[in-house]
Amino acid sequence: MTTMATNIEPKSLQERLEPYLAIIGPMVMILAILLFMGVAEPTRYFRLSNLNLILLDAALYMPMAMAMTFVITQRGIDLSIGSIAALSGILMAFLIKQYAFPAWVALPIAIMLGATMGLINGLVITRFKVPDLIGTLAMDLVYRGLALVIAKGLVLARFPDLITDVGRGKIPGFVPVPVVIGIATMIGGYWLLKKTYFGRYTVAIGSSPEAAEMTGIAVDRHKIYAYVLMGAAAALAGVMLTGKLNAIQATSAPYFNLHVIAAVVVGGTSLFGGRASMLGSFAGVLLLSMMINALVTLRIEFFWQSVASGVVIVSSVALYTWMQKKDRDGSRGLLAGLMTPEGQKLMRFSAALIGVLIALLAIGALLAGNPVPSG
Amino acid sequence: MTEPLVQMRGITKRFGGVTALSNVDLDAYAGEVLAIVGDNGAGKSTLIKILTGVYQPTEGSMSIAGQPLVLNSHSDAIAEGIDAVYQTLALADHLDPAANMFLGNELTTRFAGITVLDNKRMRAETERVLMERLGVRLKSLDAPTESLSGGQRQAVAIARAVYHEGLRVLVMDEPTAALGPQETARTLNLIEALKDQGLAVILISHSLDDVFQVSDRVHVQRRGRRAGVVKTAESTQREVLGLIVGAEEAA
Ligand SMILES: Nc1ncnc2c1ncn2[C@@H]1O[C@H](COP(=O)(O)OP(=O)(O)OP(=O)(O)O)[C@@H](O)[C@H]1O
Ligand SMILES: [Mg+2]
Repeated sequence: MTTMATNIEPKSLQERLEPYLAIIGPMVMILAILLFMGVAEPTRYFRLSNLNLILLDAALYMPMAMAMTFVITQRGIDLSIGSIAALSGILMAFLIKQYAFPAWVALPIAIMLGATMGLINGLVITRFKVPDLIGTLAMDLVYRGLALVIAKGLVLARFPDLITDVGRGKIPGFVPVPVVIGIATMIGGYWLLKKTYFGRYTVAIGSSPEAAEMTGIAVDRHKIYAYVLMGAAAALAGVMLTGKLNAIQATSAPYFNLHVIAAVVVGGTSLFGGRASMLGSFAGVLLLSMMINALVTLRIEFFWQSVASGVVIVSSVALYTWMQKKDRDGSRGLLAGLMTPEGQKLMRFSAALIGVLIALLAIGALLAGNPVPSG
Repeated sequence: MTEPLVQMRGITKRFGGVTALSNVDLDAYAGEVLAIVGDNGAGKSTLIKILTGVYQPTEGSMSIAGQPLVLNSHSDAIAEGIDAVYQTLALADHLDPAANMFLGNELTTRFAGITVLDNKRMRAETERVLMERLGVRLKSLDAPTESLSGGQRQAVAIARAVYHEGLRVLVMDEPTAALGPQETARTLNLIEALKDQGLAVILISHSLDDVFQVSDRVHVQRRGRRAGVVKTAESTQREVLGLIVGAEEAA
C-alpha cells in the first residue's frame, strides 16, 4: 500500500498564533485602555467600586454576546434584540404589577416570550426568505412598536426582590449575581459550540452552506435554533436590565444591537461566517464595557459612546479582513491600493466631494448674518 | 475477470427535449479503476449521477452484485454502498478534518445524561481511517481544513466516503482538476490504494495522463453514447483520443 506521510514542517508564527488571535486583539485593546487610564485617571478608574460597575455593565451583555456569536457564525445578524429585551421586560413587568403573577413565574415567562420572538425572527428568515438584516430590522420595529403600545409612556418601577437580585444582587464576599449569570451563560455557550450538534452545525452552515446542505444537515432548523437562543438571551438581558434599574419602559435598551454586535466582532467571530470565538466574545464584552466606562470616567459626553461603538465595529472588521487577506495572497499594505489608476480615480472623486463641501461651508460663512435663536 | 459488480444497461436520460444519454451500457468491477472520459457535455456527469441516485434514468436498468438496483435518492445509493466525491468537495473549511469527516454523522457519547459530541473518538477514528485506508498522516488534526493542501482536503473527502463500512463503489468526478502535479500524484496513489482494498473505483477525468496512469479500463462517452471501452494496458492515448473526438468512426 502506498503511503504519503506529509512531512512535518515547523509551524509558522502566524499558524501558532491563529487559535489565540481572537483573544489577542481585544486583550491588546484592553491593555491599551488600562495603560491610558492608568495615566489619565488612575484613582477614579481603578477604584474597586468602579471595577464593580464595569463588571455589572459587562454582565448585562454576556448572554446576548453568547447567542449573537452563534447567529453571526451562521452568517446571520439580529438587529431586534434591544426591542426584544424591552418588550419582554415590559410584559414581565405587567404580569407582576398588573396581574400579580409571582416573580418566579413571570421571569421564566419573559424568557419564553423572548424565545418565541426569536422563533418568529427565525421563521421570517427561513420560511419567508426575508434576508436576516431586513427581517430582524423590520421585526425590531414590530417589537418596539408593541412595547410602546402596551406601556405607552409609562415607567414601570419597583419589583420584587427576585428581579432586583437578578439585576444587581450581591453574593456576599463574591461577585454580583448578574456577573455569575453572565459568565455562566458564556460557559454554557462555549459548551454548546464545542460539544453539541447545534454548535457543530452552526460552524458548518456559516463555513459552507452548500456543504452543510449536501451532508444532510437541516440548515433552516439550526438557523431557527440560533435565533431562538438569541431571543431568549435578549429577554434575559431585559430582565437583568429591569432588575438593575428596578424600572423598565418601552424605550429601554436602545443600544443593545450594535453594542452586542461590536463585542462579538471585536472578539474575532467573523461576519462572513464559520469563524466563532466564544472566548473572544467574552473579551469583547469586557473591552466595550471598559471603554464606555473610561469615557464616562473621563467625563466625555454620553453620546460619544455610540460613535465609539461604531468605530470599534468598522475597525475590527477591517482589521480581521485585512489579516486574513494577508495570509492568503501575501498582499501589500493598506495604502498600496491608492497608487493604482482605480485608486487615483477614487481619490480624485473623494477630493472633489470634500472640495464642494468646503466651498459650500465657505459660502455659508460669507453670507451668514447674525444667528437667530430658534424658538 | 469475473462478474461485474455494477451493471448499467440501456441507460437513457432526457432533460425535457435534451437527450443527455442514450442507450448507454456500463460495467464496473470490484478491485478495478474504470475511467470515464469524453468531451464536455458527453454525458459523463449525468451517467454517474444516475449511478449515485442523484438522477433517475428515463429508460434502462442497473444491478449491483447481480441484484436489481433501483435508486430514488442519493441516500439510497449510499445504503447500497455507492458514494461519490465531487469536484466541489463539500467540506466546511472552518471545521477541522475530523468534524468534516463526520459532518452530519457525528459520533456521540453521553455525559450526565445528555448526548454530546465525542470529539476525541472522532479525531482518533479520522486519524485511523486516513492512515489505514489512505496512508495519509496529517501534521495536525486540530487545524481547520482550510489550512490543508488540495490533496489533503481530497483525502479527507475520500475518507468520509470510505468510512462507511459497506462502501463498494466510489465515484470521483474530476478529482485532480484543481490540483498541482504533486498533489495529483498523491491523489492517484490514493485511488490505487482504494482499488487494492477491493473497491470499484470510477474516475471521471479530462487528463488522459492520469487516466493511463491509474485506470484498468477506459469507458469513452461521445455525445451521450458510449463510443467504446478499451483495456488501458492494450490501448494508447491516441486511440482513446480518437474515440473521444470520433476520428475512428470517420476514418
Ligand atoms: N439538469 C440538466 N438539465 C438539462 N440538461 C442537462 C442537465 N444536466 C446535464 N444536461 C445536459 O446533458 C448533457 C450532458 O451533460 P454532462 O454534465 O453529463 O456532461 P459531462 O460529460 O459531465 O461534461 P463536462 O466534461 O463538461 O463535465 C449536456 O448537453 C448538458 O447540457
Ligand atoms: Mg461533468
